[in-house]
Amino acid sequence: MTGMGGMTGTGGMAGGAGAGDIPASVTTATLVPPATPEEPLLGIGVSLPSTDAAAKAQGTFPYAADLWAEGLLWAAVLRSPHPHARIVSIDTSAAATMPGVRAVVTHADVPGENRYGRGVADRPVFASDLVRHHGEPIAAVAADHPDTARLAAAAIVVEYEPLDPVTDPEQAFAAEPLHPDGNLVRHIPLRFGDPEAVGEVVVEGLYRIGRQDPAPIGAEAALAVPRPDGGVEIYTASTDPHADRDLVAACLGLENDRVKVVVTGVPGAMGDREDPGIQLALGLLALRTGHPVKLVATREESFLSHPHRHPTLLRYRHHADAEGKLVKVEAQILMDGGAYADSSSDALAAAVAFACGPYVVPHAFVEGWVVRTNNPPSGHVRGEGAMQVCAAYEGQMDKLAERLGLDPAELRMRNVMATGDVLPTGQTVTCPAPVAELLRAVRDYPLPALPKDDPDDNEDDWLLPGGPDGAGDPGAVRRGVGYGVGMVHMLGAEGADEVSTATVKVSGSVATVICAAVETGQGFATLARQIVQEVLGIEEVHVAPVDTDQPPCGPAAHSRHTWVSGGAVERAARMVRTQLLQPLAHQFGMSTELLTIADGKITSYDGVLSTTVAEALDGKELWATAQCRPHPTERLDDSGQGDAFVGMAFCAVRAVVDVDVDLGSVRVVELAVAQDVGRVLNPAQARARVEAGVIQGVGAALTENLRTNTGQVRRPDLMSYALPTALDAPEVHIVKLVEERDVVAPFGAKAISAVPVVTSPAAVAGAVRAATGRPVNRLPIRPQTAAVNA
Amino acid sequence: MTLPGSLDEAVAALAAMPTAVPVAGGTDLMAAVNSGLLRPAGLVGLGRISEIKGWQYQDGAALLGAGLTHARMGRPDFAALMPALAAAARAAGPPQIRNAGTLGGNIASAQPTGDTLPVLAALEASLVIAGPGGTRREIPIGRLLAGLDMLRPGELIGYVRVPLLHAPQTFLKATGRTGPGRAIASVAVVLDPARRSVRCAVGAVAPMPLRPFDAERWVSSIVDWDGDRTLAPDALAAFGDYVAAACIPDPVPEPPNPLSPHDPHDPHAPRDGAEPGTLPPAVLHLRRTVATLARRALGRALA
Repeated sequence: MTGMGGMTGTGGMAGGAGAGDIPASVTTATLVPPATPEEPLLGIGVSLPSTDAAAKAQGTFPYAADLWAEGLLWAAVLRSPHPHARIVSIDTSAAATMPGVRAVVTHADVPGENRYGRGVADRPVFASDLVRHHGEPIAAVAADHPDTARLAAAAIVVEYEPLDPVTDPEQAFAAEPLHPDGNLVRHIPLRFGDPEAVGEVVVEGLYRIGRQDPAPIGAEAALAVPRPDGGVEIYTASTDPHADRDLVAACLGLENDRVKVVVTGVPGAMGDREDPGIQLALGLLALRTGHPVKLVATREESFLSHPHRHPTLLRYRHHADAEGKLVKVEAQILMDGGAYADSSSDALAAAVAFACGPYVVPHAFVEGWVVRTNNPPSGHVRGEGAMQVCAAYEGQMDKLAERLGLDPAELRMRNVMATGDVLPTGQTVTCPAPVAELLRAVRDYPLPALPKDDPDDNEDDWLLPGGPDGAGDPGAVRRGVGYGVGMVHMLGAEGADEVSTATVKVSGSVATVICAAVETGQGFATLARQIVQEVLGIEEVHVAPVDTDQPPCGPAAHSRHTWVSGGAVERAARMVRTQLLQPLAHQFGMSTELLTIADGKITSYDGVLSTTVAEALDGKELWATAQCRPHPTERLDDSGQGDAFVGMAFCAVRAVVDVDVDLGSVRVVELAVAQDVGRVLNPAQARARVEAGVIQGVGAALTENLRTNTGQVRRPDLMSYALPTALDAPEVHIVKLVEERDVVAPFGAKAISAVPVVTSPAAVAGAVRAATGRPVNRLPIRPQTAAVNA
Repeated sequence: MTLPGSLDEAVAALAAMPTAVPVAGGTDLMAAVNSGLLRPAGLVGLGRISEIKGWQYQDGAALLGAGLTHARMGRPDFAALMPALAAAARAAGPPQIRNAGTLGGNIASAQPTGDTLPVLAALEASLVIAGPGGTRREIPIGRLLAGLDMLRPGELIGYVRVPLLHAPQTFLKATGRTGPGRAIASVAVVLDPARRSVRCAVGAVAPMPLRPFDAERWVSSIVDWDGDRTLAPDALAAFGDYVAAACIPDPVPEPPNPLSPHDPHDPHAPRDGAEPGTLPPAVLHLRRTVATLARRALGRALA
């Protein structure tokens, strides 16, 4: 089923790409409630607003940084100024005797394992003998005032013996091991097809992708409260509370059930949000002092502590025939994992599996490595692995098109994959893969007029690169158009046990969802309400706050909650529905399928039975708990083969950029996006996710790079780390959301958030190539690359 | 924390507590306090001194209060008076910063990227410094920024004296993004028809704004001050290159090292005729950026 069925009712959405049929501003269109106010916003497919949107917009929504408890102490963490050094001694005596200081803890005070990590436990809570990256925690202090805590942390005397840092991933292979686990975190040599195959046309390229930081709008914060039973409760914006609980428990030497993680409001999550290191330090300090202890990270601390996108070096060779059909892709992918493994192994698997992109490639040889260095640790940031390779393989497609004299969109069109094609991992794409349809939609969408060619447009209104009142000169501005086609996998890959558990309760006319899937801003809580409304016909649905006393739901990543947790909520709601209707159906001698629930009323197909949900409940409460566990996947084998992914999602982006070719300044004018979404469950949310994703991609393409100098993070602040502002954000036109339902996914819905992040940087790079004729092989694009030398 | 109501009261408050730090908009100072870089023993808030929040005219010059905010300077009435300063104020940051940050604060914190500084340097502004006992003295902005004449303890920047030139002025700034950002380079160009001179200053490429005097003199000499004052595109480009080369010079060739093991006795070792070193690509691009800004700034001023 293809079409815009779920999109009707929002208005403002262009169904396709008719000339002049330009959608009204996406954001306003989605915020306008439907024209018929008497019809309630209910169920799947409507733009149900989030319950906390108003509080968040007005600044009254409480985040972890706003929490307070009686007897509160404040923590500060001492971090290493060196990227690589031996610790000779740590002297905490001066800090410990400062007035107002309640506790100072180091590695010697960790009661459990002084090792933790996502995936691989290779990271100390506090460094003991070696520091391996700038910003690694060494000690923590609890004091009765945040300034006292900071001063005390600064008063800890650490004697370092600085060591030469290994900061070039290419040097990591030959370097002395930086860690007992060695410097090679993972190597995947993917072999698919005939290594001897050659094409008539061969293009080569070397690409470098920078270190994007998730830079969440709210920095890390947590509050740890000691419990009377010797355990601890941690209030934080965790995106994977159960994993964090297990880490904290292991390091504190406690049983899992004596640690409880309570999830607070999440101020922005573009990957693994919270640094578990802060939670560990707070847990330890709370147990030590017997007081609640809180820490709100500074922006600098936030940049130093959370995982970044993997800086990646990619070398590609594409073989094609004279018509531009791909014959063979050879690639070497080297990812900089930083000092600790984190989720680097998963990022590499995605990079290698999607190294050729959503194209049919008969022969592929991809060698991928992720290595350890003394750079800041890399980890899960939306679209990890997939984003870096997309920028590279799309760069190759542009080169191939230029070599063959073909239009870049046409060359891509000749190669796009469809359902039934095989990935270089040997996995057959069984889900909908409407890649050609997506590409066609963005290609055929009308291009924005150039203001200097448009008599209706006042040239003074032209927002040039460099901004309003800026240095931009219309005479030096060249416009370019570029394409990106990308793909990501959905859910955890390579045998991860993807499972989620949800409970639905109905009491009176109110339903409640209890599910530990964290609302990170992806809209899960709203979706859960819609699912219950859809199944039970009850308007008032509450979603309970999340804590680790609930069954685990896994991390909020790879759009898994829409699928796995949404699936669990749906099943639980259906079980409640059966419990509710079974006695009535029995009484009237009909099956439950013949009964419908809508607006709190239960009616039979023939209208004989009509009662309300509250009457049918008769004061009873109905509870049901269900699990959703998608089909299992397998780890990529020694030659990179295996059915590693549950499903995939695709996206096509066409970027239009203006480049001031003297200054090399770039402004993205417009992004046209077409995305494969399976089914739109909430149109407003779906659009918001696409917009947020492509704009994060614009940041990766143009400005976002956390720079280091021999392992030292340079200027970790939001002035130097330039996020896109409202003026940098282009017009985003969501040209098409292809609704071809994925039969194995609950409701047929696919991931939305990650794939636009993956695809838009490649499209922007292509557009800058087209505008300047310069090879653009590095992201973010530097001004000297985009400047055309006279 | 004291909140004096006049400049002299503020000076007295500073005299009473010499370790106190004056604060106006706080956009630089409070960031330093919040990040723990600065722990002032006390603050003297300048926000209630109404006499330094406006401007007045005095002998063909404007006396700008140090407490003028960037937002105020960005408004059209001020722009009619001093267009380049208004443009710099508008480019200085997002509205929150422009509403708080002041002219005096921009000078006092003397950041290399301070946007008003190259404009003040090109205008050859001078600072009226208020001292203890109601004393006033004047320092040319260049001498203060170069550290040749510093503020003494207890002194405050009261006013900025800027000549009224009644001629076009421009300020252009290159940043890393379309939205507000720190300057990579900035150029201010002012025309002074009375003195038949073009003055130019380049910001953000050095610790203080740079004045390319030779380029100024050359271009002043080729402008037809009594005619339409326009220049041909290649003259504008030459000016840009002249300014850029002056501000970002080629590296000086390494002087021959007398202890060098390479041919120490060779009397013909290159001295003056040494191959000029090459600048790294990023620096070359910066030079090109300065050249482009200077060319465009002059072109717009003369248009």
